[in-house]
Amino acid sequence: MKVGEFLKKIFLFDLFKGLSVTFRHQNPNDLVTEQYPLERPKISERFRGVPRLVKDENGNDLCTACGACALACPEKLIKVGSERNPETKKKVLTEFDFDMGRCMFCGLCEEACLTDALDLSKDYEIALYSREGTELNRSQLENGVPGKVYEK
Amino acid sequence: MIHNFLGYLHSSVTPGEAGNYLWVTIYVLLVFAGISVGVIFMNWFERKVMAHMQVRLGPMRVGPVGLLQPVADALKLILKEDLVPANADKLVFWFAPVCVVMTAFCSFIVVPFGRTHAITDMNIGVLFMLGVSSLGVLGVIMAGWASNSNYSLMGSLRSGAQMVSYEIAMSMTVVSAVMLTSRATGTGTMSMIGIVQAQLQQHTWFAFSVFPVGLIALVVFSIAMVAETNRAPFDLPEAESELVAGFMTEYSGFRWSLFFLAEYTSMMGVSAIATTLWLGGWLRPFPNLLGGHTWDTAFSLVPGLTFLLLGALCFFRVTSMPRIKAMRPEVMGLAGFGAFLGLLGLFMMLPGVRVRIQDIYWFAVKIGLFMYMYIWYRTTFPRYRFDQLMKIGWKVLLPISIGVVVLTALIGVRQELFALVWR
Repeated sequence: MKVGEFLKKIFLFDLFKGLSVTFRHQNPNDLVTEQYPLERPKISERFRGVPRLVKDENGNDLCTACGACALACPEKLIKVGSERNPETKKKVLTEFDFDMGRCMFCGLCEEACLTDALDLSKDYEIALYSREGTELNRSQLENGVPGKVYEK
Repeated sequence: MIHNFLGYLHSSVTPGEAGNYLWVTIYVLLVFAGISVGVIFMNWFERKVMAHMQVRLGPMRVGPVGLLQPVADALKLILKEDLVPANADKLVFWFAPVCVVMTAFCSFIVVPFGRTHAITDMNIGVLFMLGVSSLGVLGVIMAGWASNSNYSLMGSLRSGAQMVSYEIAMSMTVVSAVMLTSRATGTGTMSMIGIVQAQLQQHTWFAFSVFPVGLIALVVFSIAMVAETNRAPFDLPEAESELVAGFMTEYSGFRWSLFFLAEYTSMMGVSAIATTLWLGGWLRPFPNLLGGHTWDTAFSLVPGLTFLLLGALCFFRVTSMPRIKAMRPEVMGLAGFGAFLGLLGLFMMLPGVRVRIQDIYWFAVKIGLFMYMYIWYRTTFPRYRFDQLMKIGWKVLLPISIGVVVLTALIGVRQELFALVWR
């Protein structure tokens, strides 16, 4: 035992062990770096990104303008405008403003939504050069923000 | 004049020995350019290898696989403001980086890249190299003193102490290698070319000569040379966590890049000493065992094949690059670089060229091996404390190196010793 330790010390065993560790890590399969604009990161199912207003298969609004999302929002950044349809006596969505600048993507609005109309999508490229454009209106929420599209 | 110029091409001695001043000048320029290109490549190589060992990618954006990164760095350093501290000693501050660079490059005067590929052959070649390269300490101390800064002074003090103490262990092992040159033939030499030729005559590299002794000498030397060039894990003079950047703290821009250049040049310098003394210098592997015309031809094709392989690697890399418009210049650049390397490889296969180029190739490969080791140590080992560093230098390496010298001497004169005892 003593002799073994002595030999280990003489032949710098620990140093060679360390060297072998660093040498093995040169294997390109070990790399975890993402080359971001070229390689898109994998996004999980529960990711909370840019909000979207979803329509049903027929293209009708799923949103009933109940305002539950606006109530649930801790930041009070959702404004739901509606008017009553005199014929059907139902509320119809007229405008839907979402201030992204103040949003913290907590997802409470999404949870509060009774009809699953409001959805936090998987889009994440929302950086802007100024505060203008952080407030999304109804059409932007329905059709998505026309951002810069990079060539693939 | 022209006859004199062309006549040298068929000579079998170095231009310094031939007394051909024109060719000496050309060789000086070639060596200077070669070393500078080597330093530039080393900059990229170090960042890349270090990154891969730390499971990163390293430079990827400037040029294909970051190949143009050193160029960008150099441009940035040249454009940077050249600051001189207000209370600095201006003259010494100016002279320190010049001194360091000059000494680092001067030691390459005697480095033999091949039998004829050295600036000159000096009969005290090894001594000259050790002497000149240790003059670099002077520049380091000058830099620390002239900066008028605590960090710089502490850094240069440490550096001075370290370089001087490791110099001794280094020189001792060098002495053992010089002794080995007189083993079979009885005529010892300190000329760098003579040492390599002695290894050729004795049919063995000195690393494997007198088996464990030569190898121990090489190991001691290769530890001491890391400390000598202030590299990790012995980079105390530049310990970022304690001394900012050591003696370079007050230097910026071009002056700092001179220190950088000098550091890598002296790394190559000491690697060249180690290669020449123990790893057979410019000799290809097994020059005696695998001798004969066939093997000579086969080995002389290796440099060209290496470059062809590098070119093929570039093309292989091109195929895995993303096919988008923004990446097109990089893809084309890498493909062009691959084609250039391939053509260079083909050029090196020409019969006239390959005979002349192969010595330089084998020498460069051996130096490259040491350079890789430097990077490898840097990523692997944590920095030593200063007292540990001094302990290793004085209490471990120095006794071992003296033991190596004594053992080599005893083995060298063992027949005479036996005769003395038996009489």
